[in-house]
Amino acid sequence: MLSHELELRVEVQNLRREFDSKEKKVVALNGVSLKVREGEIFGVLGPNGAGKTTLIRILSTLLLPTSGVARVMGFDVASEPEKVRAVINMASGSERAGYDYISARGNLWFFSQLYGLPSEVAKARIKRLSQLLGLDDYLDRKFYMLSTGYRQRVTIARAFINDPKIVFLDEPTIGLDVMTAMSIREFLIKEAKENGRTIFLATHNMAEVDAICNRVAIIDRGRILTSDTPTNLKRSLGAPALVMEVSPLPVNLAFLNAVEGVKGFTTSVDEERGLARVQVVVESEECVTRALAGVAASGMRLVSSWRQQTTLEEVFVSLVGRGFVEREHEVGE
Amino acid sequence: MKLESRLWLRALYARMWVRVMSVFNEPLWIAVNIGFPFFSSVGLGLLYASTGLRSFVGFAILGGIMISFWGNVLWSMASQFYWDKQVGLFEVYLTSPAPMTAILVGMSLGGVVNTVPSAVLVAVAGWLFFAPPLSPSWLAVGLTFALTLASLYAMGMMLSSLYLAYGREAESINEALHEPVSLLSGVYFPSIGNFSPFPFSVQVFASLIPLTIGMDALRRALFFSQGLSSIYLHLIALSVMGGALLLLASKTMKLLEQKGRREGTISVRLR
Amino acid sequence: MSSVKTVLASVRIGWYRDFGWTNPLTGFLMKTIAPIASVLSASIVYWLGSSAAGTFDPSHVSYILVGAALYTHVAAYSWVPSQAISEGKWSYVFPQVFISPKSSTPFLVGRSLASFVTSALTSLISLAFAYYVAASIFKSSIPFIMTPLSMSLLLGALVANVPATLGLGILLAAYTIFASKFEWALPTYVAGLLMVFCEALFPVSVLPWPLSAFGNVLPFTQFIRAAREAVVYGSLSAYSYYVAYCLLGGLLFLAVSLWAYRWAERQGRKKGIIDRKVV
Repeated sequence: MLSHELELRVEVQNLRREFDSKEKKVVALNGVSLKVREGEIFGVLGPNGAGKTTLIRILSTLLLPTSGVARVMGFDVASEPEKVRAVINMASGSERAGYDYISARGNLWFFSQLYGLPSEVAKARIKRLSQLLGLDDYLDRKFYMLSTGYRQRVTIARAFINDPKIVFLDEPTIGLDVMTAMSIREFLIKEAKENGRTIFLATHNMAEVDAICNRVAIIDRGRILTSDTPTNLKRSLGAPALVMEVSPLPVNLAFLNAVEGVKGFTTSVDEERGLARVQVVVESEECVTRALAGVAASGMRLVSSWRQQTTLEEVFVSLVGRGFVEREHEVGE
Repeated sequence: MKLESRLWLRALYARMWVRVMSVFNEPLWIAVNIGFPFFSSVGLGLLYASTGLRSFVGFAILGGIMISFWGNVLWSMASQFYWDKQVGLFEVYLTSPAPMTAILVGMSLGGVVNTVPSAVLVAVAGWLFFAPPLSPSWLAVGLTFALTLASLYAMGMMLSSLYLAYGREAESINEALHEPVSLLSGVYFPSIGNFSPFPFSVQVFASLIPLTIGMDALRRALFFSQGLSSIYLHLIALSVMGGALLLLASKTMKLLEQKGRREGTISVRLR
Repeated sequence: MSSVKTVLASVRIGWYRDFGWTNPLTGFLMKTIAPIASVLSASIVYWLGSSAAGTFDPSHVSYILVGAALYTHVAAYSWVPSQAISEGKWSYVFPQVFISPKSSTPFLVGRSLASFVTSALTSLISLAFAYYVAASIFKSSIPFIMTPLSMSLLLGALVANVPATLGLGILLAAYTIFASKFEWALPTYVAGLLMVFCEALFPVSVLPWPLSAFGNVLPFTQFIRAAREAVVYGSLSAYSYYVAYCLLGGLLFLAVSLWAYRWAERQGRKKGIIDRKVV
């Protein structure tokens, strides 16, 4: 089936959301538009403070947009929240939504009743979801006795308990160990593929987006910068990134912005070795030579350099001129 | 049955079930709930006894019983959504199709069931310890008790909606409200009528609290054998208050939900 | 010297914790409303019972006002070390303090002292307010000695009671290290026990033996008696006896509590529960 023949599940047009703080007006979303279809795992990737959670909160009816339109299954999230709520569910990695003195099974049953599920149906769903998420042996433990990883599995199971058409997930694997995160990702892929569920995932974990998303929108300061499949986005950069290790610290790399063909760069510091690692997004092979020559001319010592397969972070760097960490630092300031 | 009614009932039952099972799974909750009512009824009972008037000791025990419910309304109803907001549960309620009134009524019924054991323990301990004289009109006592709880929990629903407008203050507001409301509503002594120590204006203000009317009617029915014919005005007032508060709670909840969606205060987590 | 710095820093943290959510005036008013209501409730119960029985004695209203105001004061700050630990386990402040070069005791003492100042002020204000309200609604002159000397003696009693209350607080903190749930319910029990056993509302002699004997030896009972001597009865010799008893008994109690707390900390490390959250 061609992608445009699949049911349109989320449609956002020119969405804007402002927050009034004491000092100033903060624009969390600024003209966001996107479309997500049936069976897609759609990632919204951006640094902290980019507007991902605000977008999810609007789509899941928790927040009203300042302007623009957002539709879920054709229903307007602002004026028809009841209709939207019947077909969605949501979960966040930062929540601890469950009653401490009730078992995981009891909690899941409780949440199923908020959707009016007959108990038999609810029990069958709890069984299926717990098998898929490896929760079988933990279902009868009280919620507060579960480890963070198992609590998050319960949270994910809860988000699928009502057989939703669309599930909104906000950083669902944040703070989890690698194995738990992997099993949750496998579960999400299976749910999208086998049940045609749309999964709308907000994250700043690039590996997660790369691993499971069919399409991704990169968001920064409330604007969607680009949207495509992860493969296409990486391919669009052309040349593999240049990685350089330079010393001594601190390094001043502002000159790189002036090098022709450099789309941006991000720096991390290796304190132990006393050097900075610089990832430079380059347009072409010629640009690599120019960047290396620039470093030599700056008086810094080039310890080593190599080329690296393009990642989504470099896509972000090419669009913003900065990496996630630098951007979060700027937003924080 | 219509789909909406089924959803309403299921959500109500489930919310009540969670509340009751939390206590059933952790019986220590009863010990937690009983502390304040038990000691205050013993302390004030001994104070009544020390005045030489044993016949009023029952006021302190009845106060201990009813303060259990007031404590439950304040800590487990009014501020419940505040705790729920902190852990992300409130978002779960809002993004589900379940009506908030069903959640609120479920919470109330669960709260009543959970508080009954502590209230009974206070009653039994009080009666064993003090053996106060009773002169009950049981039908009036039963009806007044039921209507008092209904209107008290309706007030809890109303407060619970109002608390959505607050952030970190909930705990401090609870602490500040607990004692003054029990003082004004005369949990341990008549705060309205001939025996009230308060001036008329304060009595009128106190009468706006359902617990005040309920306590006055309960004392009359339990200790002064006044039947339905004597306290029917109390019962009408309690019914009207209960209904009005329920309606107000539902309207306020809707308004504050809209306000929260507009201002982005629904999912503020504090932990 | 650095322990003093830790205590002072913890005092500041305590105030921030109590009033940081609002402006200090609102926070203070909110903290004053409850003790006023509590003190008035007890005095009204006495007024109603004694008026009906024909035994009303205005000096007994003073007795109750002082007792009710001061037992709530002790209850309010004796719970603070426990609260600091259980909240600190959630916010990781407590494990952080625990692994710092200083022991956690100055931290707990600082938090208690912050609360001591707040609750001493709120109790004195509620006592004064309740006194005027009670005098007006009972339409009677309620004896109360209001001189610089009596006020100084009352303050002296408040200070003399600090070691005993710290002792209680630190003992409860020792328990909280082990507590895994419902620690937050402790204050109702502490307040309730203080009300019944510390002569807050009635003489401990009305309790059956050995409960009356237990109440009699508590330093808190002596503290409330001393405060009554200061502002109701005016006997300096009785006041001195009660204050000395409260201070010495309190110091002894504090020493025992500190020992118990050290033991609890060691056990906590052994059992790995220093950073276990209380639900």
